[in-house]
Amino acid sequence: MNQEVSIGQWLSQIGLVIRLEMRKTFFSRRGLWVYLLALAPVLIFLGHSLSEINNRKERQALNAAHPVSTAALRSIQRGSTIEEVVEKVGEPFAKNGFRRRDFVVDIYEYTDGENVFGFGFRNNRLENINERDRDTIPKDSLVFAGVFQFFFLRLAIFFGCVGVFTNLFRGEMLDKSLHFYLLTPIRREILTVGKYLAGLIATVVIFCTSTFLQLFALSLHFTGSEISEYLAGPGWGHVAAYLGVTAAACLGYGSVFLVAGLLFKNPIIPAATVLVWEGMNIFLPAALKKVSVIFYLQSLSPVVAPPDANMPALQKLLVTAAEPVAPVWAVLGLLTLTVVVLAIAARKARTLEINYSTD
Amino acid sequence: MNDRIILDNVSRFYGEVLGVNRVTLSVPPGITSLVGPNGSGKTTLMNLITGLVRPTRGSIQVLGISPSDPERLFRVCAYATQFDSFPRGMTGFQFVYSYLRLSGMSHDDCERTTAFAIGRVNLGEAAHRKIAGYSKGMRQRIKLAQAIAHDPRVLVLDEPLNGLDPLVRAETIALFREFAAEGRHVIVSSHILHEVDTISDQVILLSNGYVVAEGKIHGVREEMSEHPMQVIIRCTRANVLASRVFEQDHVVEVRLHADGGGLLVKTRDADRFYRALNHLALDGVGIESVAPADDNVNSLYEYLIGGEESTR
Repeated sequence: MNQEVSIGQWLSQIGLVIRLEMRKTFFSRRGLWVYLLALAPVLIFLGHSLSEINNRKERQALNAAHPVSTAALRSIQRGSTIEEVVEKVGEPFAKNGFRRRDFVVDIYEYTDGENVFGFGFRNNRLENINERDRDTIPKDSLVFAGVFQFFFLRLAIFFGCVGVFTNLFRGEMLDKSLHFYLLTPIRREILTVGKYLAGLIATVVIFCTSTFLQLFALSLHFTGSEISEYLAGPGWGHVAAYLGVTAAACLGYGSVFLVAGLLFKNPIIPAATVLVWEGMNIFLPAALKKVSVIFYLQSLSPVVAPPDANMPALQKLLVTAAEPVAPVWAVLGLLTLTVVVLAIAARKARTLEINYSTD
Repeated sequence: MNDRIILDNVSRFYGEVLGVNRVTLSVPPGITSLVGPNGSGKTTLMNLITGLVRPTRGSIQVLGISPSDPERLFRVCAYATQFDSFPRGMTGFQFVYSYLRLSGMSHDDCERTTAFAIGRVNLGEAAHRKIAGYSKGMRQRIKLAQAIAHDPRVLVLDEPLNGLDPLVRAETIALFREFAAEGRHVIVSSHILHEVDTISDQVILLSNGYVVAEGKIHGVREEMSEHPMQVIIRCTRANVLASRVFEQDHVVEVRLHADGGGLLVKTRDADRFYRALNHLALDGVGIESVAPADDNVNSLYEYLIGGEESTR
């Protein structure tokens, strides 16, 4: 057998490790919940879109039964009486109200087929006009940004990477099959890189597909012209940025949980530690902020989703964004962090021992 | 000395538990058996030689290569471990093939070499079946096929004869001899002293992590002949086998198992007993497994190493 070892052979070995790992990573029974995590937001947005489509149909049917234009509805002034409003825009599709000792409240609801207008009368005088606009792309893109940053990045991809990357070494120790690799003429560093890339490909495919499907699901309730208009503007940029951030999250969290799988027997401990570390990122000094994946991911996110005012304090703590850096620095920072963590993983793998009885 | 496996004052501790202690060996080519009861340090010693564990103290060289350099070591060395687990979903062919691919062989060479290696352990017909469906003996053989596939100069085998029926056992031993005759190292572990007696050029006796004796096999064999050996056989027609076995003059006792599916044999000559058993297997007695009775093996070790332990 040829004793010479070349970079070409290392690359070939990396390719073979990726091929061997890929099947295990994609079809592992232990990893089924990763798919569920990736699928959850798709189902949320699909449900939202289907609900919106249904609502629009209902509004259009109501408008057909009680025809009224948007302009007519918007021309109604506060202080008008019920009779004046009915004379101007006709009978509402729904009437509600209640009576107290000294006042009577009536609520009349109209729709122009797209939006819903609620007129609130107190003692026959119009006091409140509530216009509930149908969802628009800018409105939904904020919702998407919120779900993406608060759920998808911080929970779905985070725990998905815990599941995939900690299993690359730890899972094989549990299966007592890691020695298969350790008894081949392959450098442990090469093995680490091969396994990492296999995990990275798997998570990028799973989670980028999820991101794409989420955007697709969310777009289902918009008209073709609305989507074309959005894509002609910032749309494609947003799609590319979200896919890029998804891949970057897998890159960063993947390296962290690869090394965690080498250092810890129980992945819950490092996962909880990293989750808290990432959550308290905003309170850390500038230098320590950079030792965090979420710091770079938030800087790369195309739409900033501010925390909801009604959000519980603990959740707000977890989702509050640190001051962003320029995208180029964010990419460089994340790559540097990944390389450093991978170097630690490779160093640990070099001294890795097989002792299945204690694992 | 680059044709030797050298362990220089090697110790390995698992926390406060002793794996092996102060082992100094210079192993020449040929068949070398590591013999000792369970927990004596055989597997630890093999894991140390192949770099699966690292010494707490001391140094190891395998043909001049450090076990901490797997890239070089496993081009000349192979290790069939005792671990009975395999990468999920693989067929026997894929198991050997992927090992060779990782070793740097081309696809065509791998296919040819894999088929050859699997053929050498007579597993050709089952090569494309999933390993998960293999019997214990077949799993042992596919591990052996993987180990010999890249034609290593050092073959390390942990309990390789476990679970093999007498015929395959004989073929496997012949394979070891063939390797040794070519000037290679074959290091075999066993807790069955009589088993390795028939195949070894030299033996290393281990007890509680210490090397208590090493050298040529003949001296050990003379001592063994004084001590009856007990063998448990599981088979389909135990009563027939019992009567046939009892006809042998070296067999001193035969006891049938309560379930009628096996028997316990006491013999004063293991060599002749195993040869006779091979003939009986050829005559159509369905032998499922052959294993020594552990208690007896342990008592044999006590008998053999008692003097050494007292001087330590």
